[in-house]
Amino acid sequence: MSEPFEPKIVAFVCTYCTYAGADLAGTSRLKYAPNVRIVRLPCTGRISPMFILKALQKGADGVLVSGCHPGDCHFTHGNYHARRRWMVFRALLDFTGIPPERVMFSWISAAEGSKFADLINSVTEDIRKLGPFDQYQELIKETESPATL
Amino acid sequence: MITQEKYRTTVKELLSNGTIKMAIGYKPGSTPDRRRPLFIRTLEEADQLVLDSTCMTNLSGYLVTEGLLSDEKRVGIFLRPEGIRSINILAAEYQLNVDQIIIFGFDSTGREVRPLQGRNAEDFTALLSEIKENPPVIHKEPLLERIEKMNAKERFDFWQEEFSRCLKCYACRQACPMCYCRRCIVDSNQPQWVNTSSHTLGNFEWNIVRAFHLSGRCVQCGNCDRGCPVNIPLRLINQRMAKEVIDGFDHFAGLSSTQEPVLASFKKDDTETFIL
Repeated sequence: MSEPFEPKIVAFVCTYCTYAGADLAGTSRLKYAPNVRIVRLPCTGRISPMFILKALQKGADGVLVSGCHPGDCHFTHGNYHARRRWMVFRALLDFTGIPPERVMFSWISAAEGSKFADLINSVTEDIRKLGPFDQYQELIKETESPATL
Repeated sequence: MITQEKYRTTVKELLSNGTIKMAIGYKPGSTPDRRRPLFIRTLEEADQLVLDSTCMTNLSGYLVTEGLLSDEKRVGIFLRPEGIRSINILAAEYQLNVDQIIIFGFDSTGREVRPLQGRNAEDFTALLSEIKENPPVIHKEPLLERIEKMNAKERFDFWQEEFSRCLKCYACRQACPMCYCRRCIVDSNQPQWVNTSSHTLGNFEWNIVRAFHLSGRCVQCGNCDRGCPVNIPLRLINQRMAKEVIDGFDHFAGLSSTQEPVLASFKKDDTETFIL
């Protein structure tokens, strides 16, 4: 009766590295799981923790945040700022009971098309094993606002 | 009592010789154990000043009132050590000029109030470094340990239970000296980041966002705890985040007025273990 669970994953990526990496995966005809919705942003430094909360609020089961390797930032140090922010935000999520496994971070350069494809596959599998983020989705139901993604 | 009398005299002296245009202190509140802020502009008002162990509120938030410091005159203010840290953070974030602030420091043990030596923020650096080494024990510590031992699901349930009482009155924000944004993210509606109605989802988001914005800035003054009408242990989250930044970046908020804000700076060798 029930369909197999397909996780919804939102990926916030920077346009200079990870998005280009995803592009490379595509042009190289690499196959990867279709569960990820990519949101392209100028830099990881632009990725506010609000984006992550908003994704969960709209019913995502997992969030992936990805950008340039340290030292490679197009804006010289956006990803260093982002890294610090994530370190703190991740601890906060952990303390408030949002499992850190559901919010993942990675560095993927424009040349790492295969790393991108592999990572999306492994992240999708991990979230599939964790199952839907029921606890959070219960809260969404309580608001009686339709959760769309 | 002696401290109170001494400070009354000092305030009168500084007001009459024009060193300060105003002093911010405490006066009796609606019940014997409550105090309310007092803004002393005249010598008569100085006689209402009260200083005892029930003067808990961190008054530093009043300093960022629009226009208060724009005439470049000095303002005196009664502060506990946490309050002095707030002043340093506000100065480091360019919200005030620390030279305009005359500090009347005090602290209490039991019912005993004692003055702190110094008048300017920099005079207290040694005291603050000492507090960094030996932080005061906040009585909710056992609860913190209990939460640390829970698994993610239990923790989520715990906070959901706590936040379900939240009324979205924003008293925590109004009471907090660090929440000085002209337009708070929760008031922004295009896009609407945080659900504004007081259902648990919105409450959850609001409290997480506030805790994140206070990470590395909170000084544990407890204004939010005391302000909360439904007794959500807000200070607990902030306390946990303060520990996080001290462990991760050796950042003790408000140590000096030139300290770089922890989330607006970085080191190239910040070490993390979770980025894939």
